[in-house]
Amino acid sequence: MPDSEHRRSAILRPGFSSLLSVALFGGLWWVLAEGAWRAWGVGAVTVIAAVAASHLLWPPRVARVSPVGLAAFLFFFLWQSLRGGLVVAALALRPRLRLRPDLHELDLRLPPGPARVLLADALSLMPGTVSAGLAGDTLTVHLLDRGLVTEADLRQAEGKVAALFGLKLSAGEGGEGAGD
Amino acid sequence: MILTELASTVLLLAGGAFFLAGTVGLMRFPDVYCRLHALAKVDNLGLGLVVLGLMLRADGLAQALKLGLVWLLALAASATVAYLVARRALRRGIAPWRGEGP
Repeated sequence: MPDSEHRRSAILRPGFSSLLSVALFGGLWWVLAEGAWRAWGVGAVTVIAAVAASHLLWPPRVARVSPVGLAAFLFFFLWQSLRGGLVVAALALRPRLRLRPDLHELDLRLPPGPARVLLADALSLMPGTVSAGLAGDTLTVHLLDRGLVTEADLRQAEGKVAALFGLKLSAGEGGEGAGD
Repeated sequence: MILTELASTVLLLAGGAFFLAGTVGLMRFPDVYCRLHALAKVDNLGLGLVVLGLMLRADGLAQALKLGLVWLLALAASATVAYLVARRALRRGIAPWRGEGP
């Protein structure tokens, strides 16, 4: 992906992002210590180590997350995983098991990296799909039932992930109707 | 408060029901890929409901958030494990069950 594309959607500047990760890991420590203040000595060391590790493993350059996109993604994801659980539970409990499973290949428009990993993980928790392989630009998805999921559903999930990372998907490549 | 206790109990029971449904799916679904659906989705919804139910009984905000964190980590772990199991099965050439008819 072109870097300028990335930069345009930049929300976090490096300095601000360091401050944000200190706040984030500090909050995380507070939660883990269940609000115990006397644990702050160990906490300070742990938070500093966590910030350093996170900057090494996932440089701030990559960590551009759109807050609006994040909220939209979380809402979409929670709703879909609720639906996913209900639909699959209903299928499992039906007296006559009638499934038409299939494999579907999705040509990804997302750039390689965290966005693809998030999509693959999120699809596994949504109704009727489990990610089964990521090779090149193709994500292989197992469908529990062909009637349950359409290409448009997968594209919608892809779009939500793109919005979360502040990316614009090119309409042309990947294309619709890439499957059956 | 009696109302939160009640809501918590309902959530915990609903969570247990989903775990049961997930286990039924695990036993009834025809192949490894379909069984992953039962584990990755139904059990996670069950865990989510149990976590919500326990959050209502938590002592303070930090403990409630910690329970939420447990759910998030379990979500990430089970989605990743489902992916790894499915990928391994595909690579070993285990053909997905295709059903009886069109």
